Amino acid sequence: MCSAHATVRGLLGELVARGGNGRDIIVDMEAGLEHLSRGTGRHVSRILAVLEPYYRSMETVRRIAELAAELGVAEVAVIANKVRDQADQQAIREFCRSHGLEIVAEIPYDASLAESERAGHPPIDHAPAAPAVAAIRRLASQLTG
Amino acid sequence: MRIAIAGKGGTGKTTIAGTLARALAQGGREVLAIDADSNPNLAVTLGLPNSQAQDIMGLPRSLMSREPQPDGTTKVVFAADPEQVLRDYGAVGPDGVRLAVMGRVGHGGAG
Repeated sequence: MCSAHATVRGLLGELVARGGNGRDIIVDMEAGLEHLSRGTGRHVSRILAVLEPYYRSMETVRRIAELAAELGVAEVAVIANKVRDQADQQAIREFCRSHGLEIVAEIPYDASLAESERAGHPPIDHAPAAPAVAAIRRLASQLTG
Repeated sequence: MRIAIAGKGGTGKTTIAGTLARALAQGGREVLAIDADSNPNLAVTLGLPNSQAQDIMGLPRSLMSREPQPDGTTKVVFAADPEQVLRDYGAVGPDGVRLAVMGRVGHGGAG
């Protein structure tokens, strides 16, 4: 067990035990699967797995959902990202339907986001009107609504 | 609401986590963002200036301590006041989003 992760988990656990003080908590998890078995998933109400329209990314999400179910941690839902066209959308929807995964947001491919990232600027400031930012705002209101 | 953003590297995980945190804060919510990636770069996506981002102290391992249990075993527990920890470590960025960052991985190994 890695103690850096254990410390984050400890903090999360304590915050949750004390009711979290009414805050929203967003955890940017380690890429991949390992973090789940380390238990971070136990302290969140939902894991949103980011999925891109290509096979290996979709497979990773499927395995995240499978592992989360096995471990009995938070429910997994999907954020589809970098969706370029209808073919992407269909492929993602088909994949999620066949694996029983709920899609909570579809974020379009958006060059201005990549540009913000390259320049080291936060997209919400650098490209506030970008379609991808708008999709993430919709997700925020949906999650709190 | 407590949410973890997961996925393969390069999928835009951090961009989404950071932008979602900012969007929630702009909607009047109090938001804590936790960077639990061993290659942390959530600070930049949240909009903290680089200089500030580089000075953020990760959560130190000393926050965990070994406590003897009634059955004679020991258990590693989080031994600090979490609110104090949030004040002492991490940073506050635009829209008041509070950020806490995982300590560095890989020194000292198993814990």
